[in-house]
Amino acid sequence: MTTARHNPFAMHRIHSIRYMPQTCTWPELLERLRTMEYRGAIVGPEGSGKTTLLEDLGRHLAEEGRTCRSIFITLDVKVPPREIRAAVNAADYDVLLIDGADHLHPLVFGIIKHKTARGRKGLVITSHRPNLLPTLIECHTSPDLFGQIVETLAPSGDCPENIAAVYHKHKGNIRDALRELYDLTALK
Amino acid sequence: MSMSEIEIRTDNDVTRLAPGEILAGSVRWNLLEPPRSIDLRLMWYTQGKGDGDVGVVDSITFDNPAQYETRRFQFQLPNGPYSFSGKLIALIWALEAVVQPRDRFERLEIVVSPTRREIALLAPQPQ
Repeated sequence: MTTARHNPFAMHRIHSIRYMPQTCTWPELLERLRTMEYRGAIVGPEGSGKTTLLEDLGRHLAEEGRTCRSIFITLDVKVPPREIRAAVNAADYDVLLIDGADHLHPLVFGIIKHKTARGRKGLVITSHRPNLLPTLIECHTSPDLFGQIVETLAPSGDCPENIAAVYHKHKGNIRDALRELYDLTALK
Repeated sequence: MSMSEIEIRTDNDVTRLAPGEILAGSVRWNLLEPPRSIDLRLMWYTQGKGDGDVGVVDSITFDNPAQYETRRFQFQLPNGPYSFSGKLIALIWALEAVVQPRDRFERLEIVVSPTRREIALLAPQPQ
C-alpha cells in the first residue's frame, strides 16, 4: 500500500508542478498580454491548466513590479459579493486576476469589466468558454504533456502503466487523470 | 549550520509526543540580513488526494530578532488531532519558523499521538 505521504500524485506534489507553456514562451505570453493592455482571458476545458497558468502569470506580473489582486471562484466556492466589490474597488492594484469568471453572474462580470476598464486596471480571467474578454491564450492538453507531468511527479517510473489510457479515459482532463493515478498508485 | 540558515531543535531532540504534553526547544538563526520578524508556529497539515487542510494551533513571535540569535520556545500540545497516515490522507504535525522578509521558512515534523507513533489507517479488508 502506498500511503498519502509517499504517493507521488498527492495534491501537494501536483501543486508543485507549474504551468508548462505549449504554444508560446513566457516572454511571448507576457508581451501579448502587454499589447492587450493587460486585459484578456485564459480559455480552456476542465483540467487544462488554466488556474495554474493564472497563478504563474500573477507571479510573473509581480516580478515586473505589477500588483495583482486575485479572486478564485469555483462551483463549490462562492465569493461573497462584498468581497468582490472590495477587490474591484481597491485602488492598490494594477491587474485583477479572476479564476472561474464564467461562474459569475453575467451582470456581476459586466460590472467588474466596466469598473476595471474605467479605472485603467488590467483584468485577466480564466473561463471555460471564450468571449468574456479577448482570448489571451487557449489551454490545451496532450498525451505528451500528460506524460511529461507524470514523469516529473514519478521520475523513477513508479507509476501505473497505461498512462495514455488514463489520459484518454478522462478526455484530456489532466487533473482528473492525475487523481486516478493517485488511486492506482495507492492500491499498489 | 551554513550561512543564512534557520534551525529548529526540540529539547533532547524529542519529536514524538503525546497530546497535552509540553514541547520545548530552541530556534537558532544565522541570516544574511537582519530579519524584520520571525514567527514560530505549531501547526498540522494534511497531504493526500484532495486539497490540503492546515491548522495553526499556536504561535510565538520573536520580538526584535537579531541577525544571529538563538531563542527558546515552549508550547503545550492540544488534545488532537493525532498524527496519522493512510492511503487517502495523512495528517502531519510540525513546527514551522517563518522569517520575514522573503517568506523563508524551516519546518520540523513532529508526531502527536497517544502512542507517540503515527497512527496507521489500514484499508478495510475485502469480505
